[in-house]
Amino acid sequence: MTDLISLAAFAPLLALIGALVNGLFGRAFREPLPGVIASLSVGIGFLLSIIAFFALAAGEETRVSITLWPYLQAGSFELSLGFALDRLSLLMMLIITGVGFLIHVYSIGYMHGDEGFSRYFMGLNLFVAAMLLLVMADSFLLMFVGWEGVGICSYLLIGFWYREKLNADAARKAFIVNRIGDAGFLLAMFLTVTTFGTLDIQAVNEAAGALVFGSSVLGVIGLLYLLAATGKSAQLPLQVWLPDAMAGPTPVSALIHAATMVTAGVYLIARVAPLFAQTPAASAAVAWVGGLTALIAAFIAFSQTDIKKILAYSTISQLGFMFVAVGVGAYWVGIFHVFTHAFFKALLFLGAGSVIHALAGEQDVRRMGGLGKHMRVTGTTSLIATLAIAGVPLLSGFFSKDAILAHTATSELIADYGNLVLYAILLVTAAMTAFYMFRWYHRVFAGEERFPKKLRDSLHESPSVMTLPLVILAVCSVLAGYLGLPEFAFPNWIAHWLEPSVETPVSFLHLSTSLEWLLIGLSVVAAAVGLGLGYWVYERNRGRLVARLEESMLARLSRSGFGFDALYRAVFVEPAEGTASGLSSVDTDIVDRGLRAGASPVGLLARAAALLQSGYLRAYALAMLIGVLVFALIVSLSGVLS
Amino acid sequence: MTLTVILIPLITALFLFFSEAADPLVRRFLGLLGTVSTFLVALYLPGTPGMSSLWLPGVNVYFALSPDGASAVLVLVASLVMIPTALYASGRVERRTGSFLALLLIMQAGLNGIFLAKDLILFYLFWELTLIPSLMMLGIWGGTKRRQAVQKYLIYAVTGSFLMLVGMLALRPLSGAASYRLEDLLAVTPALPAGTQLWIFLLFTLAFAVKLPLWPLHSWLPDFHEQNHPSGVADVAGTLYKVGGWGFFAWALPLLPGAAAVVAPVLLVLAAFTAVYAAVIATSQTNLKRLLAYASLSHMGLVGVGLFGLHLTGLSGAIYLLAAQMVSTGGLFLLSGMLYERRKTFELSEYGGLSRSAPALAAVTLFVLFTSIGVPGLANFPGEFMSLLGAFHASPWLAALATLSVIAAGVYGVNLYQRLYQDRETQPVADLRELELAVLVPILAGILWLGLAPGPQLERIEVQTRIIAQTVQPGEEIPMVTLGGRP
Repeated sequence: MTDLISLAAFAPLLALIGALVNGLFGRAFREPLPGVIASLSVGIGFLLSIIAFFALAAGEETRVSITLWPYLQAGSFELSLGFALDRLSLLMMLIITGVGFLIHVYSIGYMHGDEGFSRYFMGLNLFVAAMLLLVMADSFLLMFVGWEGVGICSYLLIGFWYREKLNADAARKAFIVNRIGDAGFLLAMFLTVTTFGTLDIQAVNEAAGALVFGSSVLGVIGLLYLLAATGKSAQLPLQVWLPDAMAGPTPVSALIHAATMVTAGVYLIARVAPLFAQTPAASAAVAWVGGLTALIAAFIAFSQTDIKKILAYSTISQLGFMFVAVGVGAYWVGIFHVFTHAFFKALLFLGAGSVIHALAGEQDVRRMGGLGKHMRVTGTTSLIATLAIAGVPLLSGFFSKDAILAHTATSELIADYGNLVLYAILLVTAAMTAFYMFRWYHRVFAGEERFPKKLRDSLHESPSVMTLPLVILAVCSVLAGYLGLPEFAFPNWIAHWLEPSVETPVSFLHLSTSLEWLLIGLSVVAAAVGLGLGYWVYERNRGRLVARLEESMLARLSRSGFGFDALYRAVFVEPAEGTASGLSSVDTDIVDRGLRAGASPVGLLARAAALLQSGYLRAYALAMLIGVLVFALIVSLSGVLS
Repeated sequence: MTLTVILIPLITALFLFFSEAADPLVRRFLGLLGTVSTFLVALYLPGTPGMSSLWLPGVNVYFALSPDGASAVLVLVASLVMIPTALYASGRVERRTGSFLALLLIMQAGLNGIFLAKDLILFYLFWELTLIPSLMMLGIWGGTKRRQAVQKYLIYAVTGSFLMLVGMLALRPLSGAASYRLEDLLAVTPALPAGTQLWIFLLFTLAFAVKLPLWPLHSWLPDFHEQNHPSGVADVAGTLYKVGGWGFFAWALPLLPGAAAVVAPVLLVLAAFTAVYAAVIATSQTNLKRLLAYASLSHMGLVGVGLFGLHLTGLSGAIYLLAAQMVSTGGLFLLSGMLYERRKTFELSEYGGLSRSAPALAAVTLFVLFTSIGVPGLANFPGEFMSLLGAFHASPWLAALATLSVIAAGVYGVNLYQRLYQDRETQPVADLRELELAVLVPILAGILWLGLAPGPQLERIEVQTRIIAQTVQPGEEIPMVTLGGRP
C-alpha cells in the first residue's frame, strides 16, 4: 500500500517534465501538441493521485512520508526535503490535478492560435508542479518553495500577454504584494525555528499542543502565518492584486486565481491546525480577516462591470468564508469549501472564458446579455454554477457554506471574539453573494442583447474541447456537496476523512436538532432573499433602481474597490518611491561627498590623489608604491617588535 | 595540490600576456584551458592536505595554504564562475584581449590565495595583489569617467588595507604568537585583553567593511560597476572580489572573539541597514549597472547580517550566500554585457518588449533575477535564509528589518524585468548566440546546483563556522530551542 501511495510523489515531477519539454522544445511543436503534452502530464498525475487516494483509504496508515534529500544544516538544526502524503494533502492533490487537467484541456481550445501557445502550457505545467509541491511538503521550507513557486507562475501567466503595459503592471503588482506575504512567511519560519527548533510541520504541530494554551509566541507565529496567507489568498489587507490579476488568460484565472493557488492560505492554516487551535487570538484574527474580506469584497462585486472582475471579487469573498471556517476552528469545513468552490468557481471562470471567446474578447457585461440562448452549454452550466455559489439548497455550495455558517455560530474557540457577530456578517454576505451572482448571470446570459449586432451572426458555442470540461465541472458542482452533509442528521464523509489530518481539541457547541434546522433555514432564506432581490432589481425593475443609485457615495465606493488602490498608492507606493529616489541622491551626494571631504585619512588621501591629477597609471603607481612601502614596513617592524 | 589552483591561473596569465599577436581562438583556448583546469582541480580540492613552509624566516611568515572548510567551497564556486567569465571576455573585449584575460586570471590566482591562505601576512599579500588587476581592468578598459571611479576605488581600498596592515603587524608582537599562521595566532590572540582586541578589530573592520562593502563605506561600488568595461566581465571579477565577508569570517571573528562580541551588534545594525537601504535605492535606479551594483550591495548587507548575528546558522549561511551571489550577481553582470552589446547602452529607458525578439535571453535573465532576489530552490536562497535565521537568533527586530529587503528585492527584480523585456516592443534584437549560450550554461548549472543541494557545501563550511561559534561564545552550546511559551 505504501508503495502505491508513494506513486503520487511522481505527480509534481511529471508536471515539471511537461514544463521542461514545452519550455525547451515547445516552439518547434505544432499546435495542439504542447497542450496535449501538458494535459497528459497533469492527467497522469491525476491518475496517480487517485491510486494513492484509494490506497490510503484502503490501508491502515493515515500518513506516508517520503524523504527526498538533506537540504540545510547548521549545528543541531537539520532539514531534509520530503513529502508527507496524508488525507489532507491527497485531497488537495486530487483537486489540483483533477480540476487542473480539465482546465488544461479547455485551454487547448481557448488558446488556439496564440503565438505563445507552448509558453502558456509551460507556465501552466510549472504551476501545477509548484502547487503540488506546496501541498505535499512535509516542512515549512519546502512548502515555501512551492509557495513562491506558484507566485512566480502566477506572475508569469498574469503577464502572459506582456506587450500590454497593463498586463505587465498587473503581474508586477501581484508579485510584489505576494512578496509582502512571503516576507511574513519567512519571519514565521524564523520564529518557528527559534521556538520549536525545527521546520518539520508534523513536529511543530505536535510540539504546539504541548505549549501553553494562548501563549503569546504562538499568537505571533499564528499572525505571521496569517500575513503570509493574506498575501497568497488575497485577503485584507493584501487583497488588491487579485482583481488586477484578471489580466491573464481566463483559464489561468480559473485554475490559479480561483480553484487552487489562492486557496493556499486556507490550506496553510488547516495544515497547522493544532497550532492555531492553541491560540484563540490568532484564530480570531484569521476569522475576522476572513469575515471582513468576505463582506467588503461582496460589496465591491455589486458594481463591477467586467465579467471577470465580478468573479474575482467573488473569489476574494468566498476565500473570506474559508478563512472564517479555519479561523473558528472548523478546519475540515474550510477545506470542504475549498473543494466545492474549486468546481463552481472554475466553472464560472471557464464559462466567462467561453463567453469572451465567443464575443471576440469583449469583457464588459454592459455589452452582453441574452447569450444563454446562443450558447446553450455555456449558459446552462454557468447557471448551475451561479446557483451553487449562491447557496441554493441541494447544490454543492449550499452545503459547504451552510457548514461554515453553522460552525461560526457554534464556535467555542473564538467565542470571546464575537463569533455571533461574524455569523451575522456571513449571513448577510451570503445574501449579497446570491444577489451579485444573480446580477452576473442575468447581465451575461439573460435579458436583452446589448452586444453589437454584427457579432450576433457569428455567435457560436465553444468547441467541445471547451464545453466538455464545463459539463464535467457542472456535474461536480452539483454533486460535490453530498460528501459533506450536515453532521447532526446525515453521514458526513469529508469530516471523517480529514479528521486524522486536522485533528485538534477544538470543540463546538452542541445545538438541539431543531436549532440546527433553524440555522439551515436561515441559510436558505439568505440565498432566497439575495436571488429574489436580484430577480426583482434586474428582471422586474430592469435595473432602474440601480441606475438611480449610480451616483450615490456607496456606489462609488463599491466601484472603486473600496478605495484600497488609491489609499495604498498614497500611503505606501508614493512615499516608498519618494524614499527610494531620495535615498538614491543622498547616497550619491551626501554619503559619498561627506566621506571624501571628511577629516579622516580617506579625506587626506583623496586630496593627495587629487593633487596628483592622475590618470589610472599614476594612481596605479601610487598603489604600488604604498604596497611596497607597506610590505617593507611589515618586514622591518615585525622583526623589531618580536 | 592546493598551490595548483593559484599556479595554473598565474602561468596561464603569463602566456596570455604574450598572446596579443596570436589568433583570437588561441586566446580563447588559453583562457578556457586555464579556468577549466583550475575548476577541475578545485573539484578535488576538499579533503586534500594543505601546505605550510617557512617563507620569510626573519619574521616567521609562512607560505601556508589549506583547502579546509569553507576555503575549498569558495575556491570551487569562484572557479566555476571564472570559466564563463573568461570565455565571454575572450569574445567581447576587443582591445588588448590577451592582457585583459591575463589580468582576469591573475585575479583568479589572487582570489584563490585569499580564500586559501592560512597565514595572516600571506593573506594580506594576496589581498593586495588582487587589487592591482582589478584596478587595471577598470583603469584601462573602463568607461569615460573611469578616472574618478579608479580614484575613489583606490582611496577606499588602500586606506582600508593600510589600516588593516597596522592591526595585522601589531597582532603577533602583542599576543606573542609563534608565527603569523592562523593556528599559531588562534592559540593566543583570543586571550588578548579586551581593549587591545577592540582596536585591532576596528582596524580590520575598516578594511573588511570597505570590501564587504558595508554602509557607509560602499560608495565606490556603484561607480566601480558603472565605469567598468561594458561586457560586464570586470564586474564579475569585482563581484568575486567582495571578500570583506570572508575577511571577517576567516580572520577577524575567530582571532578576536572578545572584540567581535562587543562590535558585532553595531555591525549587525549597519548590515541590516545596508541590506534594506541598498535594495530600496536599487528600486529607483535607471541605469542597469548601477541597479545591479545596489542589488549586490543589498546582498552583501545580508551576508553581514548573517556574520554579525554570530550564530552558527547565520555564519554558515553568510559564507554560502557569498558563494552563491558570485554565480547569481556574476550571471547578471554577464547578462548586462549581452544586453549592452545589443543596445549599446545601460539606460533602462532605451529598452522594452525584448521578450518577443529574444525569448531565450528573456527567460535566462528572469531565471537569474529570480535567483538574485532569493527565490527558494535557487542559489541565493539557502544562504539568505540561514543568514536571516541566524540574525533572528541574535535580534529578531533587526532580522525582521533585513527581511524587508526581500520585498524591495521583489520590486527591483520585476521592475527591471518589465523595463527590459515587457511592455511595448522596441527595436528587435538578436536572441542568444552560441557563445552566449555557452557562457550562460555554467551559470545556470551553478544556480541549480547551489540552490537544490546545499547540504555538502554547508557541511564543509560548518567545520570552520564551529571555530568561530566556539571562540566567540565559549562553552555555550548553540541554543536552537528556546521554548518561549513552555509552562
